[in-house]
Amino acid sequence: MRNPLADVPVPLLDDLIDDEYVRSLVVGVVGTLGLLGLFGLLFPGSVAGDLAGIVFSTSTAASTARLAAPIVLAGLGGIFAEKSGVINIGLEGLLIISAFASVYIASVVGIGNAVLGIPAIWIGFMAGIAASTLLAGVFGVVCIEFKADQIIAGLAVWLIALGLAPFMSTVFFGGVNTPNLGANVGWRYSAVMVVVATVASWWALNRTAFGKHLEASGENPKALDTVGVSVSRVRYAGVLLSGVLSGVGGSALALSIGQFVGSGETMVQGKGFIAIVAYLFGNYNPLGTLGAGVLFAGLDATQIRLQQLGYAVPDTLVQTIPYVVVIVVLALVGRTRLPAAAGDHYETEE
Amino acid sequence: MNPAVHLDGITKRFPGVVANDDVDLEIERGSVHALLGENGAGKTTLMNVLYGLYRPTEGTVVVDGEPRSFASPRDAIDAGIGMIHQHFMLVDPMTVWENVVLGNEPRTWGGLRVDEAAAREAVVELSERYGFDVDPDARIADVSVGVQQRVEILKALYRGADVLIMDEPTAVLTPQEVEELYDVFEELTDQGKTIIFISHKLGEALSAADEITVLRDGVKVGTVASADVTREELAEMMVGREVLMEPATTPREPGERVLEVTDLHVDDDRGVEAVSGITFELRGGEVFGIAGVDGNGQSQLAEAITGMREPASGSVDYLGEPMAGVSRRGHIDRGMAFVPEDRHERGLVMSYDLVQNGILGSQHDPPFASGGRIDWEASTEHAESVIEAYDVRPPNPDADAEDFSGGNQQKFIVGREFERDPDLVVATHPTRGVDIGSTEFLHDRLLELRAEGKAVLLISSKLDEVQGLSDRLAVIHEGEFSGVVDPATVTEEEIGLLMAGESLADETVSGAAIHDALDDGLGGSGADGADDVEAGSDRETAADGEVDA
Repeated sequence: MRNPLADVPVPLLDDLIDDEYVRSLVVGVVGTLGLLGLFGLLFPGSVAGDLAGIVFSTSTAASTARLAAPIVLAGLGGIFAEKSGVINIGLEGLLIISAFASVYIASVVGIGNAVLGIPAIWIGFMAGIAASTLLAGVFGVVCIEFKADQIIAGLAVWLIALGLAPFMSTVFFGGVNTPNLGANVGWRYSAVMVVVATVASWWALNRTAFGKHLEASGENPKALDTVGVSVSRVRYAGVLLSGVLSGVGGSALALSIGQFVGSGETMVQGKGFIAIVAYLFGNYNPLGTLGAGVLFAGLDATQIRLQQLGYAVPDTLVQTIPYVVVIVVLALVGRTRLPAAAGDHYETEE
Repeated sequence: MNPAVHLDGITKRFPGVVANDDVDLEIERGSVHALLGENGAGKTTLMNVLYGLYRPTEGTVVVDGEPRSFASPRDAIDAGIGMIHQHFMLVDPMTVWENVVLGNEPRTWGGLRVDEAAAREAVVELSERYGFDVDPDARIADVSVGVQQRVEILKALYRGADVLIMDEPTAVLTPQEVEELYDVFEELTDQGKTIIFISHKLGEALSAADEITVLRDGVKVGTVASADVTREELAEMMVGREVLMEPATTPREPGERVLEVTDLHVDDDRGVEAVSGITFELRGGEVFGIAGVDGNGQSQLAEAITGMREPASGSVDYLGEPMAGVSRRGHIDRGMAFVPEDRHERGLVMSYDLVQNGILGSQHDPPFASGGRIDWEASTEHAESVIEAYDVRPPNPDADAEDFSGGNQQKFIVGREFERDPDLVVATHPTRGVDIGSTEFLHDRLLELRAEGKAVLLISSKLDEVQGLSDRLAVIHEGEFSGVVDPATVTEEEIGLLMAGESLADETVSGAAIHDALDDGLGGSGADGADDVEAGSDRETAADGEVDA
């Protein structure tokens, strides 16, 4: 097979390397990992050695991919919505609803069965995307058509999903946790989806006319309107894309285990909010979002493995790292700038 | 040959208002046509009809001999009409070329990629053809307002516009940029484009336009060739009566000392000293004017006097009382009125209606407050009286401030502040953005306050205004008074010297310095560069209606 990137002209690579933000992130991550690896090689018995063993093990990679998928994909979705001018803080809700819907539909079809030749688990996957997109669509109508406050509507999306998913699980399965399907989607699929979605998003935002319209819609919607492009349509597209991408993330999360866990904060456990952190950290750049998502997921995966090795790492503390990071980034670095018209409603004149 | 645009009997009615009444307009191809009128005369409405934003209630738009019915600006664009709004419709973080092609991007790869090379080439080609000096890769946020305006023009040209409508194109430009804009007009008309621009400035219409159409109260007063008409005739057409060229001041005996400012030092927001040791006093029945190029400490001085900014050192005594530590509300309660320079930031709450805006600052006091509640009936009456007395249009106290034009917002603020029954009025740029008829009225009101024995501190960059109204005139330069002069005897050149920071005794100043200072600061639009008597500066009187620096 031909390398699909062979067609990509040099400017693309130039752009990537030129992006200072991406560069510093890459240098930071690679540098840290390199140091860790060196330490691990030199002192195999030390904590660093253990750490290096964990970080470079396949099982940690698998766990990172599994945990990163919902963060990165929802984060990419959040970029599309927010760039268009609609702040979608309901990403968490979209992940929850798609996680549940994917497992539920897969179990309705029945593992081992297929529809139109598609195995049940992938039918479930698509159902998860559909559910998330539908909920995002409702959010879009409420925000764009009825001009509701985006933050409140976003919170409502989260709270609705947080209540609805465990409730439906109880109705259909007799408990907030669904039984395990006994089949799952391998972590390599998650990894591929994350990478493909990241590159595709980068392209869409930076190279297509749609990307320019999104940016204009979030920065100065009137400028877009006066050149004859419908601001509402661009914003609906942004919000629906956030639904689609979050749906992929939520389905991947649940189906990688084959079960929906609905107790407490559900199995999504704030990944939708970390997704917001990830894209802010990545300064609305999909590549930066990927880096941040992998970093946060990697920390979480490492922490879990350390626990298993008997280190008493306080997991709640590790889980606060993304939030601490975002506050530091927003307060000190200050390079993240919200689109000028994000959160504002737009109305065409007469 | 058909005229480029023919508006045939256009009437546009809004509920309760006739904005345009049977207006006929023919515009020659390749000409510059000025649409002149006061605030609310219906100029912008008429152009919005031509641009497809509004549908006319009656009448037809004929473009190039063909009757058209525009459902949206898109249709107007397709018919070759482009509009450049007063507030630019540009996306700040995007580049020049991205803005120019926005919505009409050339594409490759089956639509999956914007053809950057083609887009940039098209922009460069247009830019060169019309002699614009624009870097296609510069970000909008990084370029000057003049360049942004050219980007807007490029946007219209890129979409194939033959007729360009420009709404108050000089309002945001420096005098030098205005001159450049006139060059652009010339270049465009040489190549067959037609320009219609909306203005309320006489000088601008006379120097830039071939023909001038005057609108008043939605009705066309007439169309004249700019070569055959004088300022006075135009002013009379706009206002509907003869306009006094000079406000009439009479000498008066100053009364009690109202304000005493001693060695005042004030820092700006960045902590840099903006006012460096200013001392003066102001008595009742006196207008003390401060002239100067914008940004020489006028704002900080006004804020320190009105209690909005803590002075770094020095004192402000008001009615014999030191004002250090007195709150902003304390200043208002003691009868100090303030017309701020930024009406959107400090003068009005844009999302409040005029009833609410009318009591801002007085909301604690009777008759507006009673028993901890606001008396809306009294407030509405108050708003209505200000609207009537100051001719705010449309006369609707329930409309939000943001729905009024800038000039009408300004009239309302000035009215609110003047009607406070103050002992001292601090007025910064009180007539900025106000049309000539209203400017004349506001000047008269200011002189009435003076006649009532009030003290007035007038800060303005319009030289004719400060010179014509003040009893004493100070010129401020880099936070210090470079001189205090008698406005009746001082010459324009002398003021120019002071504004440039020279002292009057100094003989070594070059002519260029004077000219620069005049160009930069005297409130002029530079529209009258060709006019020998007024070379370089804006010595138009109130009658001229040059209203914005």
